Amino acid sequence: MPEIAEFLLWPALACLVLTGIHAYLGLHVVERGVIFVDLSLAQVAALGSTIAFLAGYDLHGRGAYVFSLGFTLLGAAIFALTRDIKSRIPQEAIIGIVYAVSAAAAILIMDRLPEGAEHIKHLLVGNLLTVTPREVIKMAGLYSVIGFLHWLWRKPFLAISRDPDEAARSGYNVRLWDFLFYASFGFVVTSSVSIAGVLLVFSYLIVPSVAAMLFCERVRTRLAIGWSMGTIVSLVGMYVSYKFDLPTGAAVICVFGAALCLMAVFKRLFPACGCPS
Amino acid sequence: MKFLNLFVLASLFCAAPLAAKVKVVTTTEDLAALAREVAGDTAEVGYIARGYQDPHFVEAKPSYLLKLKKARLFIQVGLELEAGWAPALLTSARNPGILPGRPGFMDASEGCEILEKPAGGLDRSLGDVHPLGNPHYWLNPENGRLIARAIARRLSVIDPDNAGKYKANLAAFETRLTGKEKDWDAAAAAFKGIKVVTYHNSWPSFAKRFGLDVVDFVEPKPGIPPSPAHIHSLIARIRAEGVSLLMVEPYFDQKLPKKVAAEAGVPLVIVPPSVGGEEGIKTYFDLFGRQLELLKKAGGK
Repeated sequence: MPEIAEFLLWPALACLVLTGIHAYLGLHVVERGVIFVDLSLAQVAALGSTIAFLAGYDLHGRGAYVFSLGFTLLGAAIFALTRDIKSRIPQEAIIGIVYAVSAAAAILIMDRLPEGAEHIKHLLVGNLLTVTPREVIKMAGLYSVIGFLHWLWRKPFLAISRDPDEAARSGYNVRLWDFLFYASFGFVVTSSVSIAGVLLVFSYLIVPSVAAMLFCERVRTRLAIGWSMGTIVSLVGMYVSYKFDLPTGAAVICVFGAALCLMAVFKRLFPACGCPS
Repeated sequence: MKFLNLFVLASLFCAAPLAAKVKVVTTTEDLAALAREVAGDTAEVGYIARGYQDPHFVEAKPSYLLKLKKARLFIQVGLELEAGWAPALLTSARNPGILPGRPGFMDASEGCEILEKPAGGLDRSLGDVHPLGNPHYWLNPENGRLIARAIARRLSVIDPDNAGKYKANLAAFETRLTGKEKDWDAAAAAFKGIKVVTYHNSWPSFAKRFGLDVVDFVEPKPGIPPSPAHIHSLIARIRAEGVSLLMVEPYFDQKLPKKVAAEAGVPLVIVPPSVGGEEGIKTYFDLFGRQLELLKKAGGK
């Protein structure tokens, strides 16, 4: 074990950073009922990189980053503008459409590229096991800033996620806060996906907050449950990946699924467990 | 007495790493097969991607890092075949001896005959164009010979005490290869000159060596589904130009090639491109033996 610890240290730290921000953002996402928004924004960001690539920028350079960030903000604006509570069109539909169209557009562009399509595929795959210390530190710094801003403005952010009508009545500019939410969210998701891949980021976002909802209504407690679950699952997933020699990201995701099942069964057996709503 | 025992025990432990065999890790089973020919019993050879996997896409596992950490020599196919995963594994393995530029890092493509190198004047505005050429060069046995020679040279630098053994192993391999190549050429004579369509552009070296004429591909751009127009014209072309068969690697979805082959009325041949790509292909010699056998059966006159 000690020998492998050297290799799993940074991936494990990366998982903890991911848990920290995504278990929190997941609360908002589940509250808003926009479950697949992260896949959609990640795909939009990848489309941005693809276009940058077509325009002759290096895929890992500053130019491509600016493009992918710009596209993410564009996606954020689309989601903020289409959140019309009176409309009968569910927002998930818009999210799905944005996902499908940007994925397809990326394919069309890759078809025009002489080579390098494979490189773009790697944008959405990421690789947890080979994360570098530099990447983890950068990610931790970035997410701390975003986490701090969300803590500072927790009131409007929570209000617009929970009940936009009520928030509008109390004088908040819902469209603006929605845009800020999706922009910061897109920023986080894009950099997480490049490190851990879409599947893993999706799991970190959704599973802890769903698990916490089984037991509790209060935001603070749900956050505590989500963070604990994310941390334990990350470490168990790392161990399973080492023990049975499995691809690390996929192992963590399956442990997430197993943990959620266990928690659901537990809740069935002991319905009294959890905080009163 | 007890102290002496401890001393003996301790010296045994200290001596063990010195006596340990040199460990070689390759990215693919093809390179491992060649390295084994040179290493014999003297060095230990491991690999990362299995022969039945698409070497473009490999999911990192913890054991890969452990292997690389212990390796004294790392060998890759290069030409960006493993660009999606090998560099990241190398940096994460924390083994400075096998990083690019060090004697423990070997790119097998150096010195080999590489086909389809774009000739000069690359248009960089089209993006990150790879001026490196087709990475499936191990499918020409003469390149296999060159790779084996390069491995022997490199092992002799890393492990000079055993240089003599590596040299002898290489000589034995080369003799055997020369003999086998005569057999293979004889087998290939049965289908020399036939026209074929392959799934991807992974067979130019093989085609050149054994006299196949590759006229088109099912999926000209890896990973991008071909357009209906391409499939349509491909089927017409197979019929019009008298293409004899369609070759596809076992790790691709067979649905589309099957359909094309059926509509065009030519046999679909699933040809493993790598050692380990099929049960029973364990050596570099097995690989060509099996490939030629499959082609002879399907396309022989």
